[in-house]
Amino acid sequence: MTKINSWLEVSITTNGELAEAVADVFARHAPSGVVAERGIKYLDADDPGTPKDEVVIRAYLPMDDPSESVRIEERRQNLERDLSYLGMIQPLPAPTFTLIQDENWMAAWKEHYRPIPVGEKLIIIPAWMDSPDETRLPIKIDPGMAFGTGTHPTTQLALGLMEDIITKNAPSSIIDVGCGSGILSIAALKLGVERALGVDIEAPSVESARENADVNEIGDEFIISQGSVDEILAGDFEFKSAPLVVANMLAPILIRLTKAGMGKLVAQNGTLILSGILDEQEARVRTAAESHHLKITERRQEGDWIAFVLIPAL
Amino acid sequence: MAKKYKATIRLQIEAGKANPAPPIGPALAGHGVNIMAFCKEYNAKTSSRPGEILPAEITVFTDGSFTFILKTPPAAELLRKAAGVDKGSGEPNRDKVGSVTQDQVREIAETKMKDLNAIDIEGAMLQIEGTARSMGIIVNK
Repeated sequence: MTKINSWLEVSITTNGELAEAVADVFARHAPSGVVAERGIKYLDADDPGTPKDEVVIRAYLPMDDPSESVRIEERRQNLERDLSYLGMIQPLPAPTFTLIQDENWMAAWKEHYRPIPVGEKLIIIPAWMDSPDETRLPIKIDPGMAFGTGTHPTTQLALGLMEDIITKNAPSSIIDVGCGSGILSIAALKLGVERALGVDIEAPSVESARENADVNEIGDEFIISQGSVDEILAGDFEFKSAPLVVANMLAPILIRLTKAGMGKLVAQNGTLILSGILDEQEARVRTAAESHHLKITERRQEGDWIAFVLIPAL
Repeated sequence: MAKKYKATIRLQIEAGKANPAPPIGPALAGHGVNIMAFCKEYNAKTSSRPGEILPAEITVFTDGSFTFILKTPPAAELLRKAAGVDKGSGEPNRDKVGSVTQDQVREIAETKMKDLNAIDIEGAMLQIEGTARSMGIIVNK
């Protein structure tokens, strides 16, 4: 995909009634989508907030994408023409055009990142911040592009369940399937697990997990490699099973890996944690687990997301 | 104490294709919303409906946390499909691009009813007819 360096932002402030018609005109000329934002007013100190009537509609025209067959000036004129025709049916304010440079929006978001306490013992902080709570074990995670920044309910569910199991069973090792940023393995090692094996099929995730391990001063006790269930079962790594196995991925992948034998990675008397399941996908994951000799012993939910604790069924 | 709202943001984007580029990046970064968390959840919830425009209405709280719900596709999108046209007219008052029946308008109004600010189905149909007019789509009475 071609990198776009700048965008022409077009915006109109209107009322709720006209918002959809304006958004439709914008959508014709801005293929990446349209934003409609309402501010909040507070009626009194107890009011959590009431949306204002005023809506700001915004869209972005790519300025220098060579794949764009329509030149930007022509696109802008077409958009203004379509708005003027819409204005003949219902009066509209004039649009505002602002040139904005593309920036690393992920980095812009980092400025707002806040530490996240998880469970009883952990706190997730970005690499660029010192922990504000010395009573908790800090996990430093650079969000990067890999999933598992700690802010998502799926990661928090997995971390909470892991903390409970590690406190209760003190497993000596963990296998982290689809390790992403490495957050779960890093947390397990900080909670007292001696060895961790993290695998991910995406090379950028493996790289991100390695960087996060370094930031957390974790060395050879965390084996990180590109791969998945098949490679572990084939004996490509130092160990083929562990008393604790965790997989935090979307449900279709969890189902596929369950069918591929993920349950065989769990050592005798060991535990498997599956997280990343939307409530509408719960039944399918449950069926896949049970038909592959895994018994669900605990279920936790946060918002729309569910996580299971499972043990191999005898 | 209940969390305070900071803004509501409606993103009109294609199912399964959320990413940090505009319009999502600038819309969410300024409010401290975790962009990747939103993209991951939106794509997980919509990837089974490729090609559809599925708006997400995001409520942002003052601490940067957020929730969102999926809304029905825009009326314009449903009207385009019903009329069998690729896009609305550039000159809706002169150049008509297609037509829909009253029954089709009623069907769209019923689909959109929960997202429209309408008291009854007749009110919702009037709003849909207004959108059709603004796109150069004739409603056959």
